[in-house]
Amino acid sequence: MNILLVCSAGMSTSILVRKMREQAEAQALDVTIEAIPESELSHHLDQTDVILIGPQVRYLETKIRQVAEPKGVRVAIINQMAYGLMKGDLVLEQAQALLTEA
Amino acid sequence: MNKFIEIAGRIGAQRHLVAIRDGFVAIMPLIIVGSLAILINNFPAIGSLDFVGWMNGLFGEGNWQGLGGNIWNGSFAILGLLVAFSIAYSLAKSYDVDPLSAGLISVASYIILVPVTKDWGLSFAWLGAQGLFVAIILSLLTTELFRTLLKTRLTISMPDGVPDGVVRSFQALIPATLILILVGGFQLFMTLAIESSLFEIIFNSIQKPLQGFGDTLPAAIAIAFLNHILWFFGLHGTNIIGAVIEPIYLPLIQQNLEAFQAGTSAYDVPNTVTKPFLDSFVFIGGSGTTLALLFAIFFVIREQKNHPYREVAKLSTPAGLFNINEPVIFGLPIVLNPIMLIPFILVPVTLTIVSYVALSTGLVPKTVAILPWTTPPLISGYLVTGGSWRGIALQVVNLTLATAIYVPFVAAGVRAMKKQTEGKMAS
Repeated sequence: MNILLVCSAGMSTSILVRKMREQAEAQALDVTIEAIPESELSHHLDQTDVILIGPQVRYLETKIRQVAEPKGVRVAIINQMAYGLMKGDLVLEQAQALLTEA
Repeated sequence: MNKFIEIAGRIGAQRHLVAIRDGFVAIMPLIIVGSLAILINNFPAIGSLDFVGWMNGLFGEGNWQGLGGNIWNGSFAILGLLVAFSIAYSLAKSYDVDPLSAGLISVASYIILVPVTKDWGLSFAWLGAQGLFVAIILSLLTTELFRTLLKTRLTISMPDGVPDGVVRSFQALIPATLILILVGGFQLFMTLAIESSLFEIIFNSIQKPLQGFGDTLPAAIAIAFLNHILWFFGLHGTNIIGAVIEPIYLPLIQQNLEAFQAGTSAYDVPNTVTKPFLDSFVFIGGSGTTLALLFAIFFVIREQKNHPYREVAKLSTPAGLFNINEPVIFGLPIVLNPIMLIPFILVPVTLTIVSYVALSTGLVPKTVAILPWTTPPLISGYLVTGGSWRGIALQVVNLTLATAIYVPFVAAGVRAMKKQTEGKMAS
């Protein structure tokens, strides 16, 4: 499973990415997790299963859905509390739930 | 309320504004390097440790400062030229047309319009901050034109097997020709018929008045207010208003830097309100002066070590020291939290007023450096004022004031939370 986190400057998101990777490793899950700015999204779409949007750039949701959903990529905004408290496990669960919904 | 988020969101995602913002973000490394070069060249002595004097003694008066001056010439001094490229590049990229060609066409058009000096030179004045608005308008216009012309199939197609780069540069040939003819013709008209240049007209009619307004207390308060309202709704405030703030405030700090470089003391440089002014004295620990909020939480909740507020504060402190505050904004949360709305806006507005008074009355030197926004408080206060302990003092005063304002609201939040949990237990 390939998870992409889209945010703005990427500072706090990169902390979250680290926590998510630790969680994935602890659970022995086969996932790759990357954080990118929105402007680079188009180059990553083909290798992505799930896009999670940082709550502070939630206004990008419509735009991202337009390009991602036709390619079958699942899109969601990261749960605000989980984002704030840097709960890697919760965000990872959110991504997994999105995929199983399909 | 949803309407507000929607409108703010639309502004935040508007293609041209995003291109302007990304264009400025792209040149920030150069801008910061240029600014630091000036700061080092003019660093005041700390007690008996006089770096500038020592270097002067070693290499001869002023010789070594040529290095910093050269760096300045290639960075901040050509601000307009740099964004003419970077904004066109970003916009073209968002349309998925060849960004390199769009950037180059924009630079070429920019140079066409720059008034040429008598000995066939380009004036740094127009390559730099004074040409910023022309750069923005021109890069957006030429890129839109480029994109439209590409769509009309007025392009030269190449046989299969020709390398991609060659195909792209030939595709750009006809659109580039038409755009340059248009811009060149316009410049000819300006010089012959009006005997002025687009640069002078735009600078005098748009840029100068906007900058004049930018360096006022109401403008500073308006920015602080707007930024925090946006963050309160969970939107990236600085990001959304960035496209408007940078073009107005970069030239203001540039004027300060140039005066500082020419030997003016940091007290006497022209402009009070700059982006570093807000970053260093108002957004201490991030938007909302949240470092003070963390202090307030540690102060109010001393006994209950595992209180949720305290947990968030503990988690947020390391990042907060580097002005990263998403954890506290989304975790406490501040977003849509009615108790936090008042201090979250009151604190930055108060600090803006206090800092403005302190700087404009000469109590504290004005800002003469652009620092990476992650520079920790106290260090930033020292550097941004050109190395003055008064900059640190103002940050300490501001942090204390902000903490004092946050304390009653944190206490109210703790009470509300207690009542809520007790209510749950009772029912």
